[in-house]
Amino acid sequence: MKILYFAHVAKTLGRREDEVKFPAPVTADALWERLLALRPALAQYRATIHLARNNEYAGPADQFADGDEVALIPPVSGG
Amino acid sequence: MWSEIIFMEARLPSPPLPPETVRGIAGAWAEFHGYVRADEKGQKISALRYDIYEPMARKQLAAHIEELASKHGLVAVRFWHRTGVVPIGESSVYVAVAAPHRREAFAALAELMDRLKKDVPIWKAESLPA
Repeated sequence: MKILYFAHVAKTLGRREDEVKFPAPVTADALWERLLALRPALAQYRATIHLARNNEYAGPADQFADGDEVALIPPVSGG
Repeated sequence: MWSEIIFMEARLPSPPLPPETVRGIAGAWAEFHGYVRADEKGQKISALRYDIYEPMARKQLAAHIEELASKHGLVAVRFWHRTGVVPIGESSVYVAVAAPHRREAFAALAELMDRLKKDVPIWKAESLPA
C-alpha cells in the first residue's frame, strides 16, 4: 500500500511517500499503529489528519488493503 | 455544463474569454482572482509554496462543481490554481463561473471558494521569509 504525505507533514518527514504491506485489510487504527512505528514524527499530526483512500476521504468503517493509495491529509489551505 | 480544472507551476496567464459554448446562454461571467499577500499569519513573507494532491483535488473539485452547477444553474466553470512557489503579488488562484443571471453566478463563485478551503487537498505548505 502506498502512503502519501503532503505539505508540512512531508517537510517534517523529509519524504513524500512510503510503501507498507499488510497480509489482510486493516482498520484506520491498525494502519496508524504501523505508520507511527515507521514514522514517529507523525504523532504530532495525527489528531488533525484525515485519511484518504484512493482519492476519497475515508469513513470510520473503511478498511485499507494492499494496492490502495492512502493519503494523509492535514487541514487544507488552498486559495 | 462546461468545466476546466488546471493546476500549474507557471504564472497564471491572462484568462481567456468565457468558452464559446455559453454564448447566448450565460448572462453573467463572474471571476475571482486570489493573490499572495506580504503578510501571512503575522509574518512578513516573500512567497508561499503550495502543495496539491492533484488526482484527489481534481476529483473533489469536480464533485463540488457538479453540485454547484445543479444548485445554481451554472453553465461553465473555469478553475486554475498554482502549485509550487508563488511570490507575493502574484495570483495563486483564478475561478470563473457562468450562469444565466448574476445572483447565481456571484453565489456559486463564493460557495466554490468556501468549499475549496474546506476539503480540497491543496495547501499553503510553507511561507518563505521576506
